[in-house]
Amino acid sequence: MADSPYWNPKNETMPREDLRRLQLLKLRRLCDWAYARTPFHRRRFDEAGFHPDQLKSLDDARRIPTMTRDDWVRSQSEKPLWGDLIATDPINAIRYHLTSGSTGRQPLRALDSTKDWEWISEMWCYGSWAFGVRPADIVYFAFGYGSFIGFWGAHYACEKIGALVVPGGAQSTERRLEQIIELEVTTIYSTPTYALRLWQEAVAMGIDLTKSKVNKVIVSGEPAGSIPAMKRQLEHGWGAKCGDTAGMTEIGTIFTYECAAQPGGTHIIEDNMFEEVMNPATGEPAKYGELGERIVTSFGRGFIPLIRYRSGDIVMRVPHSTCRCGRNSDIYDGGIRGRWDDMKLIRGTNVYPRAVESIIREHDSIDEFQIYVWRDENNIRDEITIRLELKPDRLADWEPIRERLGKDLAGAHEGLRFNLELMPQDSLPRYELKAKRLIDARPQAGGLTQ
Amino acid sequence: MSNISNTATDLLGQSLTANEEQLLAAYRELKRLAAISDLPPCAARAVRKALACMWQAVNDLDLEFEQLYDLGV
Repeated sequence: MADSPYWNPKNETMPREDLRRLQLLKLRRLCDWAYARTPFHRRRFDEAGFHPDQLKSLDDARRIPTMTRDDWVRSQSEKPLWGDLIATDPINAIRYHLTSGSTGRQPLRALDSTKDWEWISEMWCYGSWAFGVRPADIVYFAFGYGSFIGFWGAHYACEKIGALVVPGGAQSTERRLEQIIELEVTTIYSTPTYALRLWQEAVAMGIDLTKSKVNKVIVSGEPAGSIPAMKRQLEHGWGAKCGDTAGMTEIGTIFTYECAAQPGGTHIIEDNMFEEVMNPATGEPAKYGELGERIVTSFGRGFIPLIRYRSGDIVMRVPHSTCRCGRNSDIYDGGIRGRWDDMKLIRGTNVYPRAVESIIREHDSIDEFQIYVWRDENNIRDEITIRLELKPDRLADWEPIRERLGKDLAGAHEGLRFNLELMPQDSLPRYELKAKRLIDARPQAGGLTQ
Repeated sequence: MSNISNTATDLLGQSLTANEEQLLAAYRELKRLAAISDLPPCAARAVRKALACMWQAVNDLDLEFEQLYDLGV
């Protein structure tokens, strides 16, 4: 089976009708478990008039109340440390993690058991194997190994696959690059932003990564991994295929991944998750090809059962047949397209950071950027400024970039004028984990927002 | 290979293969071992770690889907 393109051929290729039957069975058992063991879910199910016995088909899942990040935070704030969300004694946990806090909000705390961690790494196995990671690979994790759950699961997944794992923890970018070359690494795991930074640093060090052994760059942690221009830059710079994945601390692992066929989106791990896409305005299910909010139920994490969790992610689901790889799992076209709560309203126009980044990344002269939202001195008019750093050898491109980028951004945003500001080299922050490129400096009750 | 009769089914009602029967039997044996309270720590933790791995196999192959927290797994 070592030559199988599928990590789990049975479930990844079964008829969709069977897949849905499997999801219903797991959903029922998970709801039974949550109702019996967590005060949080019992209370919410009772308030909604829902009982797990009512689940006769997956359509009945809509009877289950949704849960939100605020619900999780409130529960843990009212009953520190774990709230009334946990389904078993904390003594059964072997690991504690929390959200990255990159949005400036109170982090979520999560506990997982030995079994949970097997599952967390297993989801990364689905994605890693699908993108071509095999026992012969030498895998480098350009990741800080902290309380943020990040690539921990991927590390264990690669060990499970049998690859040689190199934990590139607390080291400089320069030292990491030296190791990547010295150890003849074939596969890199990092955020897309940091993979870009590694490439830029390599250029500065006189290293041509296209001549290295690296043939796969697997990214996660930011929506940018599925931005076509970003992917093109990474594939060009590394001379390797770039595959996107997406996960969340609330699940503990990834829920979607790009396969080696690179269909322009990411497969959902449907035998281990029940994913719905909802029109956030109407609450109705979105059809294939329509944008909506991801609602996720995880079948793997039972310590803190995650049932119909409103992720806030913007996605567009398309059928599995969109991809030629033969998997039965549907696809998020374009990966995670951003977050509903990332949207900024500027003079009546909706601005999504990922959409802005998609346009900026079309210009490969741009080294780093920041989206700065502010209000004029009279506290009346909202403005948006894109602060840009160009690559040191491309400073002469500034005038044509300013003209073209200004037009492209306005054209994609109902004519909204974007101010463009050229920044000195290395004046904007660089990131290893989740990049935070949006600053909203408008006066608000709570001060600065993200 | 297994000499267990091929009469059991997976979660979707399909007959188990001989390999699946063996995996399920190994999983159940590990569960039995995990319930023993007087194993030495080295064995007790090894059994739990093995059971977690085997849980993943039976979950992947739709042979069983259940929680193991009450066994400390």
